[in-house]
Amino acid sequence: MKIAIPHSLLYYYYFPLWDTFFKELGFEVVDTGPTTKDILDKGSKAAVSDICAPIKIFTGHVIEGLNMADYVFVPRFARIKKPEYFCPKFMGLPDIIEGTVEESKGRVISPIINEKNNENISSPKIYEMLAEMFGFSHREIRLAMRKAEEVFKRFKNLMHKGLSCDKALDSYRGGRWEEDLKKVKKDGDITIAVLGYVYDVYDSFISMDVIKKLEALGVNIKTFEMIPQEVAYDNLKHYRKRLFWTFSNRVLGAGLHYLKDPEVDGIIHVTAFGCGPDAIVGRFLQYESDVAGKPFTTLRVDEHTGEGHMVTRIEAFVDMLRRKKWARVSEVL
Amino acid sequence: MKVSFPYMGSAIVYKKLFEFLEHEVIMPPKPTQRTMDLGVKYSPEFACIPLKMVMGTYLEAIEKGAKVLVTSGGHGPCRAGFYGDTHRNILKSLGYDDVELIIFDAPQDNWKAFFRNVQKIRNGVPWHKVINRMYTLYRFVQKLDELEKMVQKIRPYEVNKGQTTQVWNQIQEKFDKIKTRKELYRVYEECKQMLLSIPTRKVEEKDIIRVGIVGEIYVVMESSINFGIEEILGNLGVEVERSLYLFEWINDNLVPWILRPKRFKEIIKKGQRYIKILIGGHAVETVGHIIDFKERGFDGIVHLMPFACLPELVTQSLIPKISKEVDIPILSLPIDEQTGKANMLTRIEAFVDLLKNRKKGETKEVFIDNIQEHVQEERVVMV
Repeated sequence: MKIAIPHSLLYYYYFPLWDTFFKELGFEVVDTGPTTKDILDKGSKAAVSDICAPIKIFTGHVIEGLNMADYVFVPRFARIKKPEYFCPKFMGLPDIIEGTVEESKGRVISPIINEKNNENISSPKIYEMLAEMFGFSHREIRLAMRKAEEVFKRFKNLMHKGLSCDKALDSYRGGRWEEDLKKVKKDGDITIAVLGYVYDVYDSFISMDVIKKLEALGVNIKTFEMIPQEVAYDNLKHYRKRLFWTFSNRVLGAGLHYLKDPEVDGIIHVTAFGCGPDAIVGRFLQYESDVAGKPFTTLRVDEHTGEGHMVTRIEAFVDMLRRKKWARVSEVL
Repeated sequence: MKVSFPYMGSAIVYKKLFEFLEHEVIMPPKPTQRTMDLGVKYSPEFACIPLKMVMGTYLEAIEKGAKVLVTSGGHGPCRAGFYGDTHRNILKSLGYDDVELIIFDAPQDNWKAFFRNVQKIRNGVPWHKVINRMYTLYRFVQKLDELEKMVQKIRPYEVNKGQTTQVWNQIQEKFDKIKTRKELYRVYEECKQMLLSIPTRKVEEKDIIRVGIVGEIYVVMESSINFGIEEILGNLGVEVERSLYLFEWINDNLVPWILRPKRFKEIIKKGQRYIKILIGGHAVETVGHIIDFKERGFDGIVHLMPFACLPELVTQSLIPKISKEVDIPILSLPIDEQTGKANMLTRIEAFVDLLKNRKKGETKEVFIDNIQEHVQEERVVMV
C-alpha cells in the first residue's frame, strides 16, 4: 500500500516520525516533494480564495498525493499541549480537504491528534484508527511508534544543536545525522533571528528561500526550532495568559529569547497573508522589539511569486543592521 | 467608575447591566465610519474586523470620558480570546495609561481571576441585590429578543415602508428607561401591541421567503458592520432569522451546563456532521444552524464572516459541499473595512431573486413574467 505524506504544513517538523512509523508498518511512503508552481496552482484553484497560502499549498499537495498513492495522510491537529491548540484551520483540515477536493473521499487517513501533553505526538493511541482501517494489531502499532519516537528525538536534538529544520531533514534523509552539524555556518558578521512557522519559512515557494538568501548575504541565522521549548515558554511567563496556539507560543517565546540574546542584531518575522494567529503574534513581537530597541521587520508572503520585493526588503534590512552595528563598533574604537 | 464596553447588537442590554451595578455608564456611540477608521488605523493590519471595530469603539468611548472598559475574553482557538490583550497593548502604546481594561475570560480557565473581576465589577452592591437584578436583566434580554424576532417577521410585509424600523427604535428607547421587572413586563406588552398594530399586507404561505443568517457573532449581531443586512432583506420582502440572539447566547454560554437548553447540543451535533470537532469560534454552530434552518423549511442562508476569520474559513471551505448535499442556496459574505455597500446590495438582491425564482419552481416563466411587468412599467412611464 502506498501512502503519500504531503510535503507541506507540519511535514517539516514531523516527517521523520511519520516516515519511520509508516515504513515500520510496511507502507510504501511517498513524499509529494517540494512545492512546485503546478502544485501551487492546483491548490489555489481548489481552495477558498480568502484562505492563507499554506492551506492552499497543502490542498495542492493533497491533490498531488492522490495521484501518486492510494492514500493521503491528512492528520487533524487539535492539540499537543494543554491548554493550547492549533490554528482552527489545522483542526478542521480533513474537513476542509473533504469540502474542497472531491476525489479525496475515502482515501484520506486522518488520525486526530488530541494529546494533553505529548509534544512529539508519538502516542500509539492516536494511530489506533489504522488498526481498524488496515487490520494491524495494537502491538504492531505500538512497536512501530516506539521506533519512530527514537528517530524523532534524534531529529529534534539536531535542531537544538543549531541545524535549521530543513537541514536536519536533509540529514535524516541522507542518514547522516551528527556529521552535518559541522556545516552550521557561524562566520557571518551579523545575526538575524528568522521567526515564523516551519511551513512558511522552509517552503521555498512561500518564503522564496529567505534563509538561503540571507545566508548568501553573509548573515548568521537563528530560528525558533533551535531553542528547546522550555526556554521558549520561560520567556512567556509575564503574559497574562498564553496564546491559544502551540507554535505561535514558541515563535513568540523564541522571539522574546532572541531579543535578549546579545548575538542577535535583528528579527525578521515571516508570515503568510491573512494568517490569523500571526496578526496577534506579530503585534506582540513588534511591541516587544520596540521596548527592547532591536530592529524588527515583517515579511508577508502569499501565493504570488514575484521575488523582487522580497530581495529588496531583505537587502535593505541587512544593510541597515550592518550600518547600525559598524556605527556602534567604530564608536567603541 | 466611568464604565464603557464594546458595542454589539442591542447595546442597551450592556448599559442596563452596568446601571444595575450602580456604575456611571459611558454609552459607546453606535459604530460609524469614523469608528472604523480609528480602529483600522491603530489595529494590526491582519486582525479581523471585529477587533478593529471594537478598538475604534474604545477610542471613542475614552474620548467621551470612559475610564474602565469591560469586555469578554473567550476560550478556544479563535483570536477573540486575545482581543483584550491586543487592545490593552495598543492603548498602552497610545499613552492611555489611566484606562483600565477588565477582561472576563471563561471562568473555568481561571476561577481566581474571574472572581477578582466580578468583585471589581460588582461595585459593592450587596449580593442579594445583584442576583435579583441579574435575573431582571435576564428577562430583559429575553423580552427584547422576542420583540426583535417579531420585528423581523413584520418588516417584510409592512404597508408603510420604514415603519417597523421606526417602531423598533421607539421600543429600544422605551426599554432603555426600564428600572424594575414589573415595569419590564408592562412595557413589553405595550411594545408588542405597537408592533401588532403596524398595518401589513397578507401573504400566502407559498410566497413567503425565509432566510437564516449565520456566522461569526460580531458581524451577525452588529448591524452597523453588516450593512443592516436584516433591514435590507426585510425591505426586499424576506423574513429573517439570525442564528444568534443575545438571550440564546447567554443560555448557551453563561447558564450552568445542566440548565442549558437541549437545542444548543442538538445544533452542535448537527454541525459535527461536517466539522468533526469543536474548532473554536462559531464554525460548528454555523454549520449546525445551516442544517437546522433547512430542516425548518428556510429557503436560503446568508453566511457572514469577518475577512480571514480563522474558524469561519473552515466553514466557508465546506459551504459548496453543504449547499449541494443539504440542497439550500448559501451566500457567503466576508466583511472587512473595504467592503462597499453597493456591491453588497447587488449580491443580496441577486440572491433574493434567485430564492424567489427557486420558490416558484419554473425559472423560465418567471423570467417572462418579469419582462411583461417591465414592459407594462415602461408604458406607464411613457404615458
